[in-house]
Amino acid sequence: MGLRASRPGLAGHDDPAAATLPARAAAGDQGAWDEIVERYAPMVWSICTSFRLSDRDLEDVAQNVWLQLVEQLGKLPEPATPSGSLGRWLAGWLAATTRRECLRVVTAARGPQPPGMEPPGTQPDDAVIGEEVIVAERNAALRAALAELPPSCQPLIGMLVSDPPSSYTAISTALGIPVESIGPRRARCLERIRESSARLGLAEVGGNRPGGDPGA
Amino acid sequence: MLDGWGDEQLLTALGEAMKARRAVPSWFTETGKNAYAWHNIDAELAQLTYDSRTDTDAMAVARSGSETASIRALTFTSAHLSIELEVADGSLLGQIVPPQSGTLETHTKAGATTSPVDEAGFFALEPIPPGPFLLRFRTTDGAYVMTGWITL
Repeated sequence: MGLRASRPGLAGHDDPAAATLPARAAAGDQGAWDEIVERYAPMVWSICTSFRLSDRDLEDVAQNVWLQLVEQLGKLPEPATPSGSLGRWLAGWLAATTRRECLRVVTAARGPQPPGMEPPGTQPDDAVIGEEVIVAERNAALRAALAELPPSCQPLIGMLVSDPPSSYTAISTALGIPVESIGPRRARCLERIRESSARLGLAEVGGNRPGGDPGA
Repeated sequence: MLDGWGDEQLLTALGEAMKARRAVPSWFTETGKNAYAWHNIDAELAQLTYDSRTDTDAMAVARSGSETASIRALTFTSAHLSIELEVADGSLLGQIVPPQSGTLETHTKAGATTSPVDEAGFFALEPIPPGPFLLRFRTTDGAYVMTGWITL
C-alpha cells in the first residue's frame, strides 16, 4: 500500500467513476445501475456458462442475482474504507452470489440426493472465484479504456483485436491509412490505453499478487 | 504491472475483454437492468431456505416415500415471517408463518395480480404462473416481505 500511495498515478483505487456507481445506483440513478450491469454481466455470464445451464435456469439465476444486488445497494461498504476497492468487493460479491444461485438451480434440476452424496465439482472454489474477479475487473477497466480512446484510435484497435484479427492490408483499406503508418499508430494508441488503464484502476487490478488479499 | 505488458499481451487482453462482452446475450444483460425496478420497493427480501428438490431433510425423505413424491415445496424466510409454498393439482398453495392475514401480490413479467391471505395465513394461486414469478406479501400493518424469483 505504501508504494502505491507514493505513486499518485497508480493510486490503489477503483476507476473513480466506477467506484461511485453503487452509491449513485443506491440514490436512484438507473443509468448508474445499468453501468454496473454492463460492467459485470460478462463475469456473471461466464460463471453461468461453466455450469451449462438451460436458458430457463440462466434467466432464473440472472433474475435472482441482480435482485439480490438491488437489495444490497443500501448496505454497501463505504468506498473509502481501507478494506480494498469497492469494485473488487462488488465483483467478489457478484461472483459468489452467481455461483451460489447456479448451484441452487443445478441441484434443483437433479433432485434430492442422499446426504454425503454431493458430487465433486459443485462446491464453490475460492481460488476460481478470485481469478474470475480479477479477470472481470481487468476486462471492465480495459473496456473502459477502449471506450475512452480518441476516434483516431478506436477503429484501429477494434480491427486489431477482432476475431480473427484483421491484416494490415485490410486495415489500410478499411481505414484509409498507409500500411507503414499502422505500426506507429498502433503503438501510440496502445500507449493511450496504458495511460487510461492506470487511471481507471487497472494498475491495482493487474498488480494483485497471486493469493494476495487486497484488504491485508 | 501493466507497464511491463508488451503490446501483444495488451492486445490479447483487449481482445479477451471484448470477446467476454460479445458472448453475453442482450436478454441476459436486460434481465439485470430490469431488476432495478425493485429498487426502493421497501420490502424485505426473504431467502429461500427450503426446496424439496434440493433438501434432504426428514420432511423431504418422508415425502419422496409417499404418493406425493412429485410435490414441490418451497420456503422463503425473512426476519419476521416465512412464506411456505406447495404445488398441488395445478394450484399453488401458500401459508404465511406465523399465521396472519394480509395481501399477496403475484408479479410476473406481464404484470401483477393480487390475492387475499386469510386469517389462518393461507392463500391459493390458480393457475400457477407459467413463467418466473415473485410474491410480495403485505401484512395488515403495512410491512412488505417478498420472495426471490421462482421458476416452477
